[in-house]
Order: sequence, then structure tokens, then C-alpha cells
Amino acid sequence: MESQLLIVGVNHHWSPVEVRERLAIAPEQVAEFLRRLVAHPAVQEAVLISTCNRVEVVVVSPTPDEAVRVTTEELAATRGFSDLELHDALLQYRSREAVRHLFRVASSLDSLVVGEPQILGQIKDFYRRAAAAGTVGVVLHRCFHKAFTVAKRVRTETGIASRAVSVSSAAVELASKVFERLDDKTALLIGAGTMGELAARHLVAHGVRSVLFVNRNFERAALLAQQLGGTAMPFEELPRALVWADVVIGSTAADEFVLTPEMVRQALRQRNFRPLFLIDVSVPRNFDPRINQLDQVYLFDVDDLVAVAAQNREQRLEQAERAELIVEAEVDAFLRWLRTLDAVPTIVALRDRLERIRSEEVEKFFAHHPQLDDRMREDIAAFSRTLLAKVLHAPLTQLKREGAKHEKLYLAAARRLFRLDHDEEED
Amino acid sequence: MTALTLLFAVAAYLVATGAFLAHVIFGKSALRRWAHAGLATGAALHLIALGSRVAVFGYQALAPLPEQLSLIALLAVSVYLGVALRAPLTAAGAVLAPLAFLASLSAYYFEQGPMPGPTGSGGFWLAIHVGHTLLGYAVFALSFCLSLAYLFQEHQLKSKARTGVFRRLPPLETLDQWNHRFVAWGFVFFTIGILSGSWLAQRAWGALWSWDPVQTWSGIAWLLYAGLLHARSVGWRGKRAAQLIVLSFLLLLASFIGVNTLLPGRHGIQTSWSHSS
Repeated sequence: MESQLLIVGVNHHWSPVEVRERLAIAPEQVAEFLRRLVAHPAVQEAVLISTCNRVEVVVVSPTPDEAVRVTTEELAATRGFSDLELHDALLQYRSREAVRHLFRVASSLDSLVVGEPQILGQIKDFYRRAAAAGTVGVVLHRCFHKAFTVAKRVRTETGIASRAVSVSSAAVELASKVFERLDDKTALLIGAGTMGELAARHLVAHGVRSVLFVNRNFERAALLAQQLGGTAMPFEELPRALVWADVVIGSTAADEFVLTPEMVRQALRQRNFRPLFLIDVSVPRNFDPRINQLDQVYLFDVDDLVAVAAQNREQRLEQAERAELIVEAEVDAFLRWLRTLDAVPTIVALRDRLERIRSEEVEKFFAHHPQLDDRMREDIAAFSRTLLAKVLHAPLTQLKREGAKHEKLYLAAARRLFRLDHDEEED
Repeated sequence: MTALTLLFAVAAYLVATGAFLAHVIFGKSALRRWAHAGLATGAALHLIALGSRVAVFGYQALAPLPEQLSLIALLAVSVYLGVALRAPLTAAGAVLAPLAFLASLSAYYFEQGPMPGPTGSGGFWLAIHVGHTLLGYAVFALSFCLSLAYLFQEHQLKSKARTGVFRRLPPLETLDQWNHRFVAWGFVFFTIGILSGSWLAQRAWGALWSWDPVQTWSGIAWLLYAGLLHARSVGWRGKRAAQLIVLSFLLLLASFIGVNTLLPGRHGIQTSWSHSS
């Protein structure tokens, strides 16, 4: 039987942010987690994707049930869940479903805000981490590169990305429910996460009067301030920045709350209770959710941006359907390729290819030597067949053996060396 | 004839109420135009009805309490229509329309013939007094409507509601600013009303202030609104301001109706409900 692709994890369809943030794995822990995972015989290859909206492990395994169990255990062990607790929260996709899911995620069809461009970069980043950790094999290599191609196709062939409303512009839209205008407002970006930076860019594009940058790493804040135009402030100045700012974006990698209700209460008093609009785009969350209970403060986290996503979904439905067609076609193509990684089709293809070369060359030889009689011709043909059989014997035996061991490397190598895939990619 | 015109005004307000409701639920902007057209038609008919009453019975016809309330409603609708051309205050209109409907309906229901009123006082100062006081009430009523809209919108934002209604409400900042403006305008009108009233009292009763029940309660309301204006400067804005405005206006309304109905006084407003029954 062949290896299967499967995805185990949590995402925004099923799990609230409380679960996702508990499961989020820090970037520096990714490599170790993946290595521990592939140490299990049930897992051949693995890539982890951990963003605000999902923590998903993409795995290649000959024994899917076993792989799900192992992955669940590792996730639970890494993040301090009990197996049982996690088991209910986890979601799984298998074979075709899994490929489709990965392609859809990369194309931003599965995002909270469909069409937002950040996700592809994030996936590429996590793919690179896994590759560096040595847990990416033939199947995932091909699968992720295919996913990147699909994402590119979806972006260029449908209008999804051009009309895309990113999480950041969703934030701007929500801000317009509190504020009448932005050109007399000050924005504050805490941290330097990608999403936060994009949100800040959006606010600038919508005419916010000024932007303040606060970061534990002051250089980082200063750099952003220089790039976007604004003022960098040292982290200790955060209380003062809260008095000046009207829109605050939290985008740090901190494990604990950067903003507490008490800090906001203090700031409110000093700002004479002018309204404060807080957007928390980080997971784990940066702003204590209890802050939302304060009067004149409006706090939204990543999940709340669904509302805005839903507003624009209708218009984009048609584009999304076209994108789904592209994904579907690419899933078919990938699965066809995956099946060829079974030993038999590869052996057949290899034999066919060499046989064609042999017969072509023999015909060419006969054409050059018309003086040969029938008997000589038969001998020469028989000789070429024997030679080919002898040459092929060892590699084919080896491929059969490797194929039975679910080791796809040799099969993939053979396909590549002999150019058995006509649609082989440039990479 | 007058009664029939008023009935048509009542009907127009009802249409406006329905259109506002439908607009808030379904979000068709055509419905908002219908609502505003209904309000404008209602106000025009309302004005004709009141005007013809005055033509028949003299200004004394506006003295009964239901007439006063309906006049306040007419003023509030007029101010709203003037402002709504410039600011997105549809939410306040949606609260105002049913109130205008109720006020004009009660005026229609309790409508009565000419009544003997207090004689002697009148003329320019009375017009100034009554006009400004009622205009003050009308603008306060508008801020009451806005505050209810504000509290609703605030609740939606806090509870992260994702309904269609939420999308069509104006920004909180807009509501809060207009709220403040209305309170300030209302306060100015109300102050002029009280000052001119004191001047009338001086002439009629010989004292600027005589602890007449209406005077007393108006004084309390004036202090309340003065406090409200001041509170903003120390940070009572947004939700708290809206809550206070709602409370203040309910108190104002209760005292206006209660004092004029229950407590005998020398003021010009007729305790008409006891008369007519």
C-alpha cells in the first residue's frame, strides 16, 4: 500500500482562539518538534504550519491511523495538553482532502479573510524550516511546491487577491464603527509582527494622522518608524503612548499579556475617556480580553475579524468558485503523480521508456545497414533485448524492494533520472 | 377638519416608523428616503393641524398638555430633518419617529374644544418663554433618541454582534458628538426659556422665582443638564453620557407631565387630562 498525505491540527473552522493560542508552537521549537515526530516509524515526512488561524501538521505516513495518534501525542506533549482533551479539538484531513486543504490554505481560500496575501509567505517560511530540519522528503517537497504554484495561479487567474480584504483592512473597517474619521487619530503599533505592520500600513493609507511604534527591541521600532513614517518610542513609554493613541494594534510574540485592564484604565483616565480602539492580531493574544469590559474601550481579536470577512464574502463568492476549480484540477494532477510513486507504475514506465529507446536505435541501425539479411537482424534485435534486460535487472529489483518499504526516494530519483514525468517542474 | 389633518399626520408618522424599522433591518437606502419623506409629510400636516387650531381658538389652544407634547414632537422632528440632511443620524430618527407618532396620537385622542385660559399674561415675552422652553425640550428629546441609538450601537460593538443592523449604524464618535451638540443647544434654549419665564413671573406674580412646581422642577432639570455638560469635560462621555442623558430626559418628561397633571400651580399649561375626562 502507498503512503498517504494527512493533516492533523486545529484551525479557525473548529477551534476558538483559546485553543489555538495554547497549541501555537514557537518558531524556535519547530525543528525539534518535527524531528521528534519523524523519529516515529509511522511518520516519514512532516511540516508544521502555525499561524494565528491554524496549527496544522502535514504528515506523510504509510499507516495513517498510527500517524494521527503519534502526532496528537507529540502535540499534546509539547504544549501540555492531555491526549483526550486534544483529541476532541483536533481536526484531520486525509489523502485527497489533505492535499486539497493544503492547496486551499496556500491560496488563501481557507483564510478568515479570503484572499489575504500573508498566508503564502507564512507557509513558505514554515516549509523552509521543515526542510532545514530535514523532515521534508520527496512527497512533501513536491506537494508544497505544487501548493505554491497553485497559489500563484489562483492569484493571477482569479480576482480574489486584487479585491482581497486582508485582516488589516478588516481592522480599519471595524475602526470606522467607532471613529467618524481617522485623519485626526493616532495609531500605536506594539510589536513588529507581520500582521501588525500591515495593519499599521493600512491605517496610514486610510489617512491616520500619526503612528507610534513601541517594541521591546527599540531598533526594530525605529526601523519601522523610518519605513512607515512615524515615531518610535521605548517600551517603557507604553503607558504614555496609550494616552496619545486612539487605535492600538498588538502584534508581539509575547507569551503573556502586554496590555492589562489596569494599564488601560490608567490611560483612559489620563485621556479623559476618549474612546480607545484595540486590535489584537497576535496569537497568543497580547491584550487581556477583560479589557473589553472597560467603558470607552473596544477590543477585537483575530477571531472578531470574521465579521468583516463575512461582509465581503458574498461579492467574492464567484471568484472563489473559479479558484476552487483550479485547486481541484491541481489536486488531481498531484495525486496522479503520487500514485506513480508506487513501484509498479514506475517500473512499467521505466521499462517502456528504455524499450522505446532500444527499438528506435535498432531500427535506425537497420536503416543504416540495408545489406543485413533477416537472420542477422533477428540476432541483433535479440542481443539488444538481452543487454537491456541485464542492465535493468538490478535497478528494477532494487526499486521493487524500495517500493515495498514505502521509501519513495529511489522511485522519485528514477523518475527524475529517466525523465518519466513529462510535466516535471523546473524546480 | 383639524382633527382629520392631525389624523393624517399621525398616519404619516406611523409610516415613517415602519420605514425606519424596515431600513434598519433590511438596509435598503430607499427605505430611509421613505422614512424621511414620511416624517416630513407628518411634520407638514402636523403644523397645519396645530396652525388651524390656533386660527380657530387662538394661542390658548396650544395650552393643554397633549398639545404641548405634540408641539414638542413637531419641533423635534423639524430639527431632526434639518440636521439629518447633513449628518448620518438615521438611527436617532428611528427612535424619534415612534415617539412623534405617540405624541401626535395622544394629541388627537385627547383633542378638545376651546378652554378658558389664564388671562392677562401674554405677548412677546410669553412667546419667547414658551417657544424656547419647548424647543429646549425638543432638542433634549433628540439627544434622548440619539443616546438610545448610541447605547444600542455600543452594546453591539461590545458584544461583537455581526448582524446587518450593526453594519448600518453610524460610528459611535458621530453619535457622541451630535449628542453633545444637542445637549448644548437644548441647554441654551432651555436657559433662555427659564430666564424669560422668570421675567414673566416677575411681571405676573411679582417675583422672579416663587417655587411654583413647574419652576422648581424646571430648575432641577436645568441643574441636571448643566451638570451633564460639565461632566463631559471631566470625561463623562460616550456610554456614561448617553445613560445620563436617557435618565435626565425621562426625569424631565416625567416632571413635565407629572407636575402639570398632579400638582396645582399657576402656570399656563392646562391639566387637560383631568378636564377632558
